[in-house]
Amino acid sequence: MGILPLDQLTELIDGVASADDLMVAMIGLCATLGARCFAITHHVDVARETHPMRLHNYPDRWAEFYDINALGLSDPVHRASHKTSIGFRWSRMPAMIPLTASDLKVLELGREQGIGDGFTVPANVPGEARGSCSFANEAGTSLADEMLPAAQLAGAFAFETARRLWRVRTLDTEEQPVLTDRQRDCVLLAARGKTDGEIAQLLSVSAETVAVHIKNACERYGVYKRSSLMIRTLFDGTFTFSDIFRR
Amino acid sequence: MLHIAGSVAADMPAGVMRAMFAARKKVFVDLLKWDVPVLAAEFEVDQFDGQHAHYLVLANEDGAHLGSARLLPTLRPHILDSLYPDLCERPVPRDANIFEITRFCLDRSLSARDRRVVRDTLVVALAEHALANGITAYTAIAEIRWFQQILSFGWHCQPLGLPGPHGGKLLAALRIEIGADTPALLAQAGIAALPTLIGADRAAA
Repeated sequence: MGILPLDQLTELIDGVASADDLMVAMIGLCATLGARCFAITHHVDVARETHPMRLHNYPDRWAEFYDINALGLSDPVHRASHKTSIGFRWSRMPAMIPLTASDLKVLELGREQGIGDGFTVPANVPGEARGSCSFANEAGTSLADEMLPAAQLAGAFAFETARRLWRVRTLDTEEQPVLTDRQRDCVLLAARGKTDGEIAQLLSVSAETVAVHIKNACERYGVYKRSSLMIRTLFDGTFTFSDIFRR
Repeated sequence: MLHIAGSVAADMPAGVMRAMFAARKKVFVDLLKWDVPVLAAEFEVDQFDGQHAHYLVLANEDGAHLGSARLLPTLRPHILDSLYPDLCERPVPRDANIFEITRFCLDRSLSARDRRVVRDTLVVALAEHALANGITAYTAIAEIRWFQQILSFGWHCQPLGLPGPHGGKLLAALRIEIGADTPALLAQAGIAALPTLIGADRAAA
């Protein structure tokens, strides 16, 4: 006899059409599993992402502290989740990764904020940032052993549902990248066929500086090759044909 | 080139069939260390292989194996009902139009990037095969890490039961609904077939 009503999981999968729906579904799931709160997230520095995939109901103060200190990347729970493909209790972390002094401080601060004990389901999709779904409680309260398989399954489906919602969200609100004046100057001259050295001379900067401007421009567009950058800037109107090809 | 063998398709070249069984041995026995029988020290073949199984095989121009999957009819004994019924909370799905995906295999000789391209092509091929043959759903058992990948393809998945430990691994059973919207769902999730892999003339009847 199952502990997690499969219907509740089905509702999570099929009945969720927005992040708000997902929040409601996850709160219901937490109640069933015996968790105080949850977090679904990609393991990134949220300050640097346009649309970081993250949904949680952790205490606000903890969430603020987390973001200000860019803990998304260094979080020991996340680091431990990269070591395994199966859900784990936080009490197992010391056996999974070396915990530094600052890790211990972060965990202690979390405990003070009511996030002391948890179970994290790694969600690693090849080709994407790694992520996870966590179910957390105050220190001293844990998910019951018999709830862990249900938490594992719920975590997997919750993560995929979030992925689906965020994918649509990104498509809908794609912002046009904007280059700085300096980036624009460098990219335009490169598009006209100038080498970094020639550009450097024309702009009275070093060749390294030119390379950095072009690299940053690539990052703004989310491309890795200069040729992709040329195509994108031509297509989105940053440059016109006559900008590049006029004599 | 996509080869399909089974009651709905012409038989595939014997060389392609052999290459598939050899690739299965390299992946499931040598790499994943499954405790399954090996024939002539070269081929992984089990009691579910045979005339009732359907096979989808992606091969290159020389007939070398790139990726493959085996489909088992759920009206006959298959893996979920015969070996892991505990992974299924409700009655095991059994229907003329439901098949179990088993032995999803990507050739070990492929680079990581090629493996993903073959993987995506095979997933699209499975969806198209279902639509072309009236298959309304697939069932599958997966180890939990592969389970997340299957969900990430974007098609409609439903859990069949809670995950359970088997042989030191955590396995879970799921059901994949196939409908007219499945190709679009796969495409939206970034799963696309490489047309040159499918081939201009498929070997299916």
